[in-house]
Amino acid sequence: MNTDLEKKGAARPTGKRYASVHDLLQGEKVTSDVQSKVAELGKETGLAEILANLRVAAGFTQEQAAERFGVSQSAISKLESGRDEDLTLGEIRKYAELSGQRIGLMLGKPLTHVEAVKVHALGIKSRLTALANLAHKDEEIERSIQGFFGEAFFNILDILSKCHQQLPHNAGFQLKVELIGVPSPLAKSAAILPESAGKAG
Amino acid sequence: MWQIEPTTQWRRDARFYEKKHPNEMAAVMRNLERYVKQLEIAANSRSIASGYLHAEPLGVLAIDQKGGGGNLQETRLYTYADDVERIVYIITIGNKNSQASDIALSKDFVEALRRKAE
Repeated sequence: MNTDLEKKGAARPTGKRYASVHDLLQGEKVTSDVQSKVAELGKETGLAEILANLRVAAGFTQEQAAERFGVSQSAISKLESGRDEDLTLGEIRKYAELSGQRIGLMLGKPLTHVEAVKVHALGIKSRLTALANLAHKDEEIERSIQGFFGEAFFNILDILSKCHQQLPHNAGFQLKVELIGVPSPLAKSAAILPESAGKAG
Repeated sequence: MWQIEPTTQWRRDARFYEKKHPNEMAAVMRNLERYVKQLEIAANSRSIASGYLHAEPLGVLAIDQKGGGGNLQETRLYTYADDVERIVYIITIGNKNSQASDIALSKDFVEALRRKAE
């Protein structure tokens, strides 16, 4: 017998409901020690959890995934309920293929906000350059890419403008992007581009 | 969206486990977190299988401490998922020694819940 625990009585619903385990632990005033341990375990098992969720979302049972991977169901079960440090890159790749999703891994020190914006900006530049090169292939592709460029130009400026407006003292410069009743994304960009845009080398 | 509802017994158990076995309690609560996230994705609670989940009679599901690290005492969090109301009841926490009585207590809880729903 467990001598530590008092004899248990009947369990009754409390009527108190929580949207998450985090809320439950806080709402039930569970010690901060347990709360921080749960958060720590979340970091150590987060990737294994994502893999299991990808499989479920793709509609595969553990048995079906095991068959695809050529392993036993218990191996899948162990992997998904284990810790991230035990996962191999090969296993992660198999889950990406099974689910038809792309899995990106970020390891090491988290980026600052500024660093993250710069990384994304470089990524956008690289993708747009690739699209611009594609536009040389034929006229139909070019028209489509022109349209996309207009849309992207508008959206990026719009995001920048809206975020800038959230600054406490934003009198330094004012960026205003407005949609001026034009039908196509390309026309949208033309409406906000200065006349000289596109002429400069 | 699924919600989590503790029982009166879980509240008593939590007070004991958070002091005497905080690592075990954290491990089962972390696995509850994983389970609830899967409920949001899965068609229903019965379609979810994992190494830390153990099916018991009457739809009771025991969540163990796997993934919580080594040297943890065998611990189980007994739950019941109501697919209609989308509520996971967390009934009680126990160890190997209390397993039989924990299952019996959990079955009583589910039976009472079902009687009330009828």
